[in-house]
Amino acid sequence: MIQIDSVTKSFSEKNVLNNLNLEVKDKEILSLLGPNGCGKTTLLNILSGLTKQNSGNIYINNVLVSGKTNAKKVHLKPSERKVGYVFQTVSLFPHMRVKDNVAYGLKAMHLPRQEVKKRTESLLDFVGLREYAKFYPTQLSGGQKQRIALARSLATEPQVLLLDEPVSAVDPQLRESFRLELKNYLQALKITAVYVTHNLSEAFIMSDRIAVMGNGRIEQIGVRGEIFDKPSSDYVAKFLGINTIKGKAIKIGAGLLEINVNDVILHASARPILVGKNVIVTIKPEDISISKSISHPINDEGNSFAGIITEMVQMRSTAQITVDSGFLLKTRISLSTIKDLGINLGDKIYVYFNADALNVFEENNSE
Amino acid sequence: MKSAFAKSLSDKIIIAILILIVLTYFLFVVLPIMAVFLRIEPSQVNAQLHNAAIIEAIKLSLFTAGTATLIALVLAVPTAYFMATRNFHGKAVLDTLIDLPIVLPPAVAGVALLYAFAPRGLLGPIFNHFGYILPGSTIAVIIAETFVASPFLLRSAKTGFESMDRDVINSAKMLTDSRLRVFFTVTLPLSLRAIISGAMMTWARALGEFGATLMFAGNLPGVTQTMPLAIYVFLYSDPLAGVMLSIILIAIAFAVLITVKLLEQKRYGAKK
Repeated sequence: MIQIDSVTKSFSEKNVLNNLNLEVKDKEILSLLGPNGCGKTTLLNILSGLTKQNSGNIYINNVLVSGKTNAKKVHLKPSERKVGYVFQTVSLFPHMRVKDNVAYGLKAMHLPRQEVKKRTESLLDFVGLREYAKFYPTQLSGGQKQRIALARSLATEPQVLLLDEPVSAVDPQLRESFRLELKNYLQALKITAVYVTHNLSEAFIMSDRIAVMGNGRIEQIGVRGEIFDKPSSDYVAKFLGINTIKGKAIKIGAGLLEINVNDVILHASARPILVGKNVIVTIKPEDISISKSISHPINDEGNSFAGIITEMVQMRSTAQITVDSGFLLKTRISLSTIKDLGINLGDKIYVYFNADALNVFEENNSE
Repeated sequence: MKSAFAKSLSDKIIIAILILIVLTYFLFVVLPIMAVFLRIEPSQVNAQLHNAAIIEAIKLSLFTAGTATLIALVLAVPTAYFMATRNFHGKAVLDTLIDLPIVLPPAVAGVALLYAFAPRGLLGPIFNHFGYILPGSTIAVIIAETFVASPFLLRSAKTGFESMDRDVINSAKMLTDSRLRVFFTVTLPLSLRAIISGAMMTWARALGEFGATLMFAGNLPGVTQTMPLAIYVFLYSDPLAGVMLSIILIAIAFAVLITVKLLEQKRYGAKK
């Protein structure tokens, strides 16, 4: 278990982490998701002890590893924290053979030679690379290197594992399979792990819970579906590629919350507490359907608007279509549907979605 | 429009001119070196290698340059590590000052050393107190060579330490709490090539040191007369001996450059 209590860190006047709080549960794999430069790596470095925070406390398994309590200052060295770290770049010792890389931490612990050998071999077995024991790092592929880096970090039997975009060191075409491999290793280890990534689908594959980081703090934390269905801020929704619409909640009518967006009325699930407030509405692109005519039946709980297609971006099997209905909505439609409907840029179409697909929260004026 | 023929002709002329320039420059560098080798018959080499004056100069040069290199290793490598891994106020100033001897005219270095270490110099009273006069001694040669040549090692080692992958060092720090262990098992092995090639450049520069040595240490056979100083003297008294010493220095310079180049190319785990 990791507990981070209001950690602040700045580099030459620039605030990177701002009173950040985060709790990682025991034996949980938590993804730390955020754009490049949002402080993810800094947070890992602070957890590991390679970087010292300006203020705030870090606990690992309820032990204060860095910070202050009762005027007692603590800052354990990286090697004293029982933390393993797999770095973003391939960080193997290039002048040592694979087995000596894995054995590095064991030798530093002054274990007997036989013990070092035994443990090194079992670690190499764990990552399935025993036959590469005598190779040098340059003779391995990117994925093999990161597997060795994982084995090396596990040698000292850490209680916590930190992984900083380990997939980025792997060739693009092999990343998919390496991710799954890595996930299997992590699940087999049953270890508390923090997995840093800027890649949405990677965070989904690797972990149950995702913490979205931005503005020097954790913007939202939750199980993966939750974050997608109910992003709690404009920032998170935008980072996840979810539509965000600003409007004002007017009243509850016919059991639904009516929201005025540029004089168009949206219907969302009833939440009386929001009435009269400025709100942000989010809706996932995949929850929006389109049709060429209004003939589609609209039930009471639905939303339906006419709009103009202002952008079409074709991908491998789908296209992202932006529709202007007084506000912009992005939706994702399969290429075959587009062909069947025969729609083109500039066409007038209808978008519709259910009231319960909308996520509504009060606009935070402080931002 | 120009015909294809004219175009290819003008291309050829440009390439021909370029080749001519390269050849001229190459000859300009190689001719003087060849001129030295042409001054001596192969049959004369053996006799010269037994010339007591030559052997004396070679011995003195190897001893002083070797000692200067060792001193540089002890002083410049830790300094380079410090400069490469720490940030502090006035670092840029210190950095420039330490590099200064590289561009300083050797004559100025000689004057500076005299004003610092000679009996009437800044530190003179200390040496006088112990009854020691530096100028005219072998120690003065070593000081002059260290002063002029050690920045080469400092620079190379600093670049070596600086170019190291931070994550590699951090990986080691995650696994051991001993700074010394990280330094000797990871940092040093990974910068060893830079240190060795820097030490070789320092050694070669120390072997060739002339101006500062002449001014600060003097030109006493067997005591301060290193190979370059001997060449200067032999030019008038024993030209053949001078040629022999020159050839030895050329060979050493050549060997050092090739070794440094090879060191830079070597990669771990590459073809065995």
